[in-house]
Amino acid sequence: MQVKGQSSVADKMEVNQAKQEHLLALKVMRLTKPTLFTNMPVTCEDRDLPGDLFIRLMKDDPSTVKGAETLILGEMLTLPQNFGNIFLGETFSSYISVHNDSNQVVKDILVKADLQTSSQRLNLSASNSAVSELKPECCIDDVIHHEVKEIGTHILVCAVSYTTQTGEKLYFRKFFKFQVLKPLDVKTKFYNAETDEVFLEAQIQNITTSPMFMEKVSLEPSIMYNVTELNNVSASYESESTFGKMSYLQPLDTRQYLYCLKPKPEFAEKAGVIKGVTVIGKLDIVWKTNLGERGRLQTSQLQRMAPGYGDVRLSLELIPDTVSLEEPFDITCKITNCSERTMDLVLEMCNTRSIHWCGVSGRQLGKLSPSASLSIPLKLLSSVQGLQSISGLRLTDTFLKRTYEYDDIAQVCVVCPYTSPES
Amino acid sequence: METAVTLFSVIYCFGFCERKFRSVHLTEGNIQAGLMDSSEGPAQRPVTLDIDGAGETLEASVPPQTDPTEAAFREESIDLDAEAFVSPQDDSSHSESLIDRLNDQMMESVMISDSPNSEEEDVVPIDSLLEQNEEKEKAKTPDGDTEERNEDLSTASAAEPEEASEALFKEENEEEKIVQVDDKRETIAPDDPKPEAPKTQDIELEIDTDTPPKDEAVPVCTIFSQAVQPKAQALIPDGFQPTLVKSPSFTIGNTETPNKLVPQVCQPSPSLSKFFTDNGAVNPATDFFDSFTTSTSFISISNPNAESPKTAVPPESPLLSAPTVAETVPTSTYFTPVATKPQVSPVEPMNKLQAVFPSGDDPFASALITSELDKRYDAWLPSEDTRKVLISVATQQISPVQIDREQLAMPGLKFDNLQGDAVKDLMQRFLGDQAAMKRQVLSASSVEQSFLGLKRLISTKNWRAAVDLTGKLLTAHGQGYGKSGQPTNHTTDSLQLWFVRLSLLVKLNLFQNAELEFEPFGNLDHPNLYYEYYPTVYPGRRGSMVPFSMRVLHAELPQYLQKPQETLDRLHRIKSVCQKILSNLQEGLAEDGSMMNLTQDNRLASIQLWRSRLSRVMYSMANCLLMMKDYVLAVETYHSIIEYEPEQGVQLLSGIGRIFLQIGDIRTAEKYFQDVEKACQSKGKTPNEDTSVLMNRAFVYLSQNNYADAHTCFSSVLKLDPKNPVANNNAAVCLLYLGRLKESLGQLESLVHKDPALYLHESVLFNLTTMYELESSRSTQKKQALLEAAACREGDSFNVQCLKLV
Repeated sequence: MQVKGQSSVADKMEVNQAKQEHLLALKVMRLTKPTLFTNMPVTCEDRDLPGDLFIRLMKDDPSTVKGAETLILGEMLTLPQNFGNIFLGETFSSYISVHNDSNQVVKDILVKADLQTSSQRLNLSASNSAVSELKPECCIDDVIHHEVKEIGTHILVCAVSYTTQTGEKLYFRKFFKFQVLKPLDVKTKFYNAETDEVFLEAQIQNITTSPMFMEKVSLEPSIMYNVTELNNVSASYESESTFGKMSYLQPLDTRQYLYCLKPKPEFAEKAGVIKGVTVIGKLDIVWKTNLGERGRLQTSQLQRMAPGYGDVRLSLELIPDTVSLEEPFDITCKITNCSERTMDLVLEMCNTRSIHWCGVSGRQLGKLSPSASLSIPLKLLSSVQGLQSISGLRLTDTFLKRTYEYDDIAQVCVVCPYTSPES
Repeated sequence: METAVTLFSVIYCFGFCERKFRSVHLTEGNIQAGLMDSSEGPAQRPVTLDIDGAGETLEASVPPQTDPTEAAFREESIDLDAEAFVSPQDDSSHSESLIDRLNDQMMESVMISDSPNSEEEDVVPIDSLLEQNEEKEKAKTPDGDTEERNEDLSTASAAEPEEASEALFKEENEEEKIVQVDDKRETIAPDDPKPEAPKTQDIELEIDTDTPPKDEAVPVCTIFSQAVQPKAQALIPDGFQPTLVKSPSFTIGNTETPNKLVPQVCQPSPSLSKFFTDNGAVNPATDFFDSFTTSTSFISISNPNAESPKTAVPPESPLLSAPTVAETVPTSTYFTPVATKPQVSPVEPMNKLQAVFPSGDDPFASALITSELDKRYDAWLPSEDTRKVLISVATQQISPVQIDREQLAMPGLKFDNLQGDAVKDLMQRFLGDQAAMKRQVLSASSVEQSFLGLKRLISTKNWRAAVDLTGKLLTAHGQGYGKSGQPTNHTTDSLQLWFVRLSLLVKLNLFQNAELEFEPFGNLDHPNLYYEYYPTVYPGRRGSMVPFSMRVLHAELPQYLQKPQETLDRLHRIKSVCQKILSNLQEGLAEDGSMMNLTQDNRLASIQLWRSRLSRVMYSMANCLLMMKDYVLAVETYHSIIEYEPEQGVQLLSGIGRIFLQIGDIRTAEKYFQDVEKACQSKGKTPNEDTSVLMNRAFVYLSQNNYADAHTCFSSVLKLDPKNPVANNNAAVCLLYLGRLKESLGQLESLVHKDPALYLHESVLFNLTTMYELESSRSTQKKQALLEAAACREGDSFNVQCLKLV
């Protein structure tokens, strides 16, 4: 986003006007990082018409890399050529120079640089004390830095006040407007695991126009959780990032980060009771661009709607992953009373097309007080091969005459134990 | 469709989640991303996060808002108003697409739409302020000003035009600080429900929409409804909400051109020599060439013996052919180091040049070497079609006259206007005619009308005049303006002239012109670009008339015209030919795969040449990849060049390190810089005494924002090498970032005046003029002084843009 106009190129007419009105000139330049000069190699061989001329020209060119003139990325630094873009979380740096264009000494110069955002006004000047005098052709320099924390229009307001030799007090201001843009697009998704773990998947997209090196993307968990980052594949000697060797994002590239959050033991006890919105934590993102231009953002607190378990929660404590066809197997269910009252539960087991429960259906489980839980072993068998869903459990609270249905609570792989037809 | 988010039991084993999880597909126009199948989905909600500035929470102690219901982080959360969705690409017209973007955004994100209103008194509402500003700007700007405003935008720093700001300043003085919120503000943030609305409200809204009333009414709740599963699964296999695709910036991603990699690999052709030997007869089409062009004398510049009767003797056998060729054709090209240098008087017209060349007195030995050199340098593998044509010509099956014109390269100048001298024009404009008169540069007509004059123009950096001269010489050869598409014959020299002309056009950044003139050459594989096509003019000579460097230039050109894929395609084609030739040589064959005997020396020399060519092509590839910002491949390619050019290892490793610094990956850059240090140590240098090590350190400091130490490092390079222009320039740049403008300026200025040969370079001058602009209002005068300095030394190819005068 270009800042409107520019002070440092002063066209002639303005120079005259400025001189009539003010003895001092204010110049402002945004200090983005310098860039490395790239040259354009055009080579020939010594048998070609130009002979060694081209290579000699390239060797004499100060911007080429000596000894490897064909390498386009040189070492010569050039100053920023335009205002460029500025993104939320980056640091806005600017050179402010007040130059005495006149031929008289100017006194009591005060330069003030403020940044006006949509919500506040910040003073960026390094010092707020006045300079007692400024001789002709001299200047007052200031380099200001500000970490940008708001999106949208920003205005740098530079004010200069001074006293002329005749004692006249003069004052002028200049405004430099620029837009702060959003650098990243972050989307999140939560997965609730059976085990009270929460998996957070975060998609981070680079919506700037330049490549971005992701120096750090971490999840700072809230006090309730411990976090494990799942973005590294640990090889034998050192862990390697899932994103490969080069940790940078091209413009519009998206990367997915995965985190596993475990409730801390003291909170895990009450997991069955955690309800409603919980704060998971926030993502802390640090990136770098051209020659180490740094940016840092944190997301707002990520919130998750804890999965509601209703009045009664039925979870599985034990289940085999693979079972044999038509052979009974055991599972263990854990039934937790998540309501505020005591329940008297009856367990019914309904067969489905493939799942056949063994044992008595309609058995009394007895009274279950709030937050209490009980484990019950169950036996069942499957009559169909393949991946089968375990369904058909019904819990009835005899107090309220409410029935809770539990279907698809888990899946098992049912295989035929006879591997070959002969046996 | 049931869409409860949380209220009911969702009992799930995570291991099964991925398979079972189905979210209900969102129909178009459905708002809020949180919809899902209550019976199936674990609570997954793609949420576009609002991003707070880092460290915001630190400021929570001074919350500008008084609303007690808000949590600290919310108070600090940043207003994502409409401005936020402006894509970085569009600078001006963001208001048009604003509505669309907002709509998109509505569909996927939880908006936190309130911004804390600062209670600071000094706040001037931005929009009112800007409005005034812009109005004043418009009112005050006369029409003549627009041109100058444009130039402002293109240059370095950032500021309002002075008039406008000063107008504003006066206004402000009259009525002290207007504080008012105007309507415009609200239109900018249309999704702002209430100025004070806390974030919680949004979340409640979300829950409401997500929770269907049905679920609340029915006490017995079906937790899993299987009916929905397959449908949902079919729609969303990956489990992500479809809204993700509708990210406002996502569509832009498709603008990138798809990688079109259809490398037309050059088929290595079987030996041509066998066709020459198969047929004992000579191609008698001698008359043919004269009929094409009147300036035949030009042809013979490099082939003084072209019409010698000896040429009638063809090589007898592949084994014998090498010496035979040497004997019969002492084609001493002008550029061959062994060839005697011609003494050309400047005034001599072109057609007399022939006489100047020593024609018959080449000693036999040098002729032999020349022929070997020719063979080595000219070797190329034509495409299958071209090879067939060349065989037919060689075996006299067809006469070149019969060949379809479509298959021939018929170049001609595409423009013949003189290039002029931009420095002089600028001097005329800023310093007056008198000063401009003092500017003396060579022009195309003030030098010898020959290669000698051409070389003089190139070495004095008068590349524009050199382009003019190549135009003249090519016109003399019958390939002048408007001759494109007319049959001409090519010679070694005409192609060299084309090569020089096109190289200079590229050096002058006249890429469009270069592309236009390259166009008739096609992919440099037309039969008439091979020596075999002219058996009488170049008897026994084989291979490509197109110099290898011209092929590289041809390949490199498209990348400067935003067609880098084309460049890569062409470079890969060249690379595969190089590799084939190298493998031929290593298998004991000749370059073109024929069974010719090469002496061991020649073979080694040839292998060395083709390896260096291969590395040149790889350099071009790496450079192109770097320009495409494909850093992974670029780094890989640069790294592989070290194998071919071990003596450039230090420079290459440093270069790769700088690439990583450019990306921002300082840690990896440092690894490469350590490799450089090791390489230096192995050469017996201490790291502190090596300029490249010090230079690399300086760049690392620079990337850490440590300009002071970077400056120290550049200064220590200068202690070792006081004339190092890069270190001098970079030290000055560091000084500027340290707030020492005057010092920096003084340093650069004195360098330019003390040693103009080194410092009148566009990068240095650009830095200097930028600092002039920053320093005072009199930058124009100072820039004019630079222009004068440049005018005394630089040729017409000087890039005046770096002075930022226009």
